[in-house]
Amino acid sequence: MRCRDVETLWDEVRGDCQESVKEAVDIHLRACPHCQELYEQFEGVAYCLSCLPKPEPSCDLSKRVVEHIALIKARERTTPVVLTSAQTPIGRLYVGFKEDKIAYVGIDTGEAFEAVRARVESRLRRPVVAGEAPEWLSRTLDQFFSTWQVDDRVVDIEDLTPFEQAALRAAAQIPPGEVRSYSWVASKIGRPRAARAVGQVMARNPLALLFPCHRVVDAQGDLHNYGYGIEMKARLLKMEGYTARKA
Amino acid sequence: MSALAPLLRGVHVPPTVGQAKPPSGRTPGKTAPSIETFDQIVDDYQRRLYGFALRMTGNREDAEEIVQDAFVRAYRALGKMSLEQRSDLRLQPWLYTITLNVTRNRLRTKRPTNVALDALADPDALLRESHEGPPRPETIVEQNAEVALVERALLQLPMHLRAAATLRFIEGRSHPEIAEILHQPIGTVKSHVHRAVRILRRILGPQIGRIAPEGAPVHALS
Repeated sequence: MRCRDVETLWDEVRGDCQESVKEAVDIHLRACPHCQELYEQFEGVAYCLSCLPKPEPSCDLSKRVVEHIALIKARERTTPVVLTSAQTPIGRLYVGFKEDKIAYVGIDTGEAFEAVRARVESRLRRPVVAGEAPEWLSRTLDQFFSTWQVDDRVVDIEDLTPFEQAALRAAAQIPPGEVRSYSWVASKIGRPRAARAVGQVMARNPLALLFPCHRVVDAQGDLHNYGYGIEMKARLLKMEGYTARKA
Repeated sequence: MSALAPLLRGVHVPPTVGQAKPPSGRTPGKTAPSIETFDQIVDDYQRRLYGFALRMTGNREDAEEIVQDAFVRAYRALGKMSLEQRSDLRLQPWLYTITLNVTRNRLRTKRPTNVALDALADPDALLRESHEGPPRPETIVEQNAEVALVERALLQLPMHLRAAATLRFIEGRSHPEIAEILHQPIGTVKSHVHRAVRILRRILGPQIGRIAPEGAPVHALS
């Protein structure tokens, strides 16, 4: 056996390799001080590594992992949103509901149902299926269009982030027929510098009309923008009785 | 084997080496791992995976984040597996593999750190391991310096060799187990282990062969 072979066999002869190999290595080692020294050094390396302290993780690591996983479990969104359509004073709406609460409202712009369904699914990160409108839904919508104010008990925004929820709830406090600025909403939720972030939330509002993002305008009082077109925003505000200060 | 005997005497051989113990993972007769029993899995494996991640990164914070991330991935993956897949799953090597992948991703995006290695050599650990009462302060300093030397040497290895050496000599895994964890042929594992040891020997210097296994650990390095 050559020195090169003996060297590469080092880790194997420590374990359960063939007895004949062990013997051949043994014979070589006895006659070869160079390899013997090499083996001692390799052993030294292995020994040093095995002696490295085994530091403990922080005592709460396990707890943190379990908590993180509990959070993931809680966020698992399996209850589907049922998407349907409804005729209302402002035209046809797409309405999604989860159990007995409304989780999505969008104005029908002629977009294909499947496209709307897929968009709602990705927005709410929850399965969305087609379905019939239950009786309570038309009652709830009738109620809304008579007052232009939403009952907090019939809407479900739990899939949104805390910031989104806060911004939408603040917008819901704007009385019908009035407008407030993005920065007003931002101040209202204790984040005065987050006016632009509020703008993002309004732009992505999954409950159009019910959470009145159309009542949020820019600091100059301009209607600024609306997901369904600025004309629709003007039309909605007019229906509520708002008269623009600016011509 | 007489020539080998003095080399092996007193040398700590990792527990799974050369024993007939089956590669760890699923114990026959035990129920398949599932997300329902995941808390137990976390409890059982967090120390092991943390130790591995720590040796791979040399950084405590990184290691903890890696372990967290690895468990979350494992949880998600388990949730998508059928009962049959879960029954066939060998949990321990699988968890090592996930931890290694997370480590790789992390080290890839992060520039090589000049880790505060002294933070690793934990004087308390030495105190806990000492059987002869608290060592004198100068001993702690000395031993800490030596531990840090070995830790630094390990971190100088390229990632694949470090993984092989860590699994082999620190985690005490057998060649077939390492092959399973790293998804490599056994021959490749053996060659990587060997190359790692050769490089470490060069870094640590020839006096590494004169360490006294009985007595102070990792002594006589200086």
